[in-house]
Amino acid sequence: MKLAHSSTVPVPVERVWTVVMDVPRAAACVPGVSGVSGAGEDRFRGDLAVQVGPVRLSFSGEVAIVARDDAAHRATLRADAKEARLGGSVHASVEIALARAGEGCALRIESDLQVAGRIGELGQPLIQRKADQLLREFGACLARTAA
Amino acid sequence: MTERLLRFTVNGEPREVRVADDRRLVDVLRDDLRLTGTKEGCSVGVCGVCGVLVDGALVSACLYPAVFADGASITTIEGIARGGTLAPLQEAFISEGGFQCGICTPGQIVAAAALLAERPRPTDAEIDEWMTGSLCRCTGYAGIRRAIRKAAGG
Amino acid sequence: MSYAYHEPSELDEALALLARHGDDAHAVAGATAFMLLYRQGLLRPSHVVGLRRVRSLGGIRDDGGALVIGATATHREAERSPLVARHCAALARAFASVATVRVRNQATVGGNLAHADPAQDPPAMLLALDAAVTAVSPGGTREIPLAELFVDVLTTSLAPGELITAVRVPALAPGTRAAYVKFLPRTADDYATVSVAATLRRSEDGRVADVRVVLGAVGPTPIRATSAEDALRGAAPDAARIAEAAALARDAADPIDDVRGSAAYKREMARVWTERALRSLVA
Repeated sequence: MKLAHSSTVPVPVERVWTVVMDVPRAAACVPGVSGVSGAGEDRFRGDLAVQVGPVRLSFSGEVAIVARDDAAHRATLRADAKEARLGGSVHASVEIALARAGEGCALRIESDLQVAGRIGELGQPLIQRKADQLLREFGACLARTAA
Repeated sequence: MTERLLRFTVNGEPREVRVADDRRLVDVLRDDLRLTGTKEGCSVGVCGVCGVLVDGALVSACLYPAVFADGASITTIEGIARGGTLAPLQEAFISEGGFQCGICTPGQIVAAAALLAERPRPTDAEIDEWMTGSLCRCTGYAGIRRAIRKAAGG
Repeated sequence: MSYAYHEPSELDEALALLARHGDDAHAVAGATAFMLLYRQGLLRPSHVVGLRRVRSLGGIRDDGGALVIGATATHREAERSPLVARHCAALARAFASVATVRVRNQATVGGNLAHADPAQDPPAMLLALDAAVTAVSPGGTREIPLAELFVDVLTTSLAPGELITAVRVPALAPGTRAAYVKFLPRTADDYATVSVAATLRRSEDGRVADVRVVLGAVGPTPIRATSAEDALRGAAPDAARIAEAAALARDAADPIDDVRGSAAYKREMARVWTERALRSLVA
């Protein structure tokens, strides 16, 4: 499942880049994230609680920065998480790209999501909507944090 | 307390059965009471093959919690014929070719019986509307409609 | 692991059970939506609180011109109720449009609203009729207008442990007409590709005095097409004006691509079916 999110943040690109690459700080911008800690070089562990209507999910997993280009403001992240309540897992490859946009910064996040196990029963439309919502809130929070 | 004793009547006969709270009526009927005339198809309330009557109301037994049936009067396909004689509705399904493979037939007949109990002389439009969601994948619906019309005396 | 099923006969008892078990409890009335989610493994409650024996939650009554439908009234009771038909025939039709007679015999009016499926029929019609639910929790009773009840797909503004006891449909202003139309390109018992619920009242000079247009199945909640309403209010509802309003309804839709059509197609169908609904109201 491919997701694309773009937004504009009224903050210079370098400042946003610093926050995005500070994973624990950036992760705090995703609603429901908790307990983020380092797990080796460019690797982090953490938990994510998500509610979709009456269905509560609780993910636990790792995020790794697999490639980064500080000059071009591009990075590739890999996220692998297990869902404990119902059973299932999510694997995601995430491309982050920042670009100058006037005084501010254009943020683009492209994700390729593989959902396995029972949580897949939620169905693509619902998963997509929830993921979109998380990314939107992430973008808005990033603007506040970097400002 | 995740188990309980349910008391209900099935096809006029009092029954008692001990069930886990999360059992479905279709499982209790088929597995515990061995009334396998009620079939299970889609398991999500869409296809109609598990149709039974609970206090006269047609429901999908695959969506119906067994605990809801406590104290109720249930009619399954086994209760449509009386004393070894097919009901006129069943005879009409045979004479009008209202089935082919037969998997959907119990659900069709129970649904049709519920319709005729409520509307003894349904119009074709009323038949079609009521039988919506009683899926037949081989014969088609013309024979089923003819059978219901015939059983209604039309 | 089964859940423990509780079937209280008093509302207080139901609220106390929900409060005691918190996140581990799930309330059910007809339990159709619950059974699907439970069987899919998406819900794993330790306790299920059945509301069907709570007498105060049932029944359909007239309350000084307002229609009050108890939360545990089934869809079938609502579609066949002379009170509902007399209040608004289109509302009876919306209840009768849900799935099949088997589901309507089991699924309840309150459960349908609490489930908050945007593709369901009654929410759009009840929103067009300016209905509100009565909700009760250990903290007290409150009225929630339908516009504030639906927050997102399967998500309401009900607090944890709070229950819908009834939905209240206010008296319609004299001369108000209502319509519910549902576009079903696949099968008659399917969810709508788009549905339109509308009410319209004309003043003596023929102009539109009041109008409400609500789109179902084309967004995370039923969507009130206020821009379409604004285009009509105060205007003579001729074919051109209705077409203009319908185009605005298309823009109000926020659908997704799925098996019932692409987002673009659903938007276009929102226009077509809004136009049809509105035309039927001025014919």
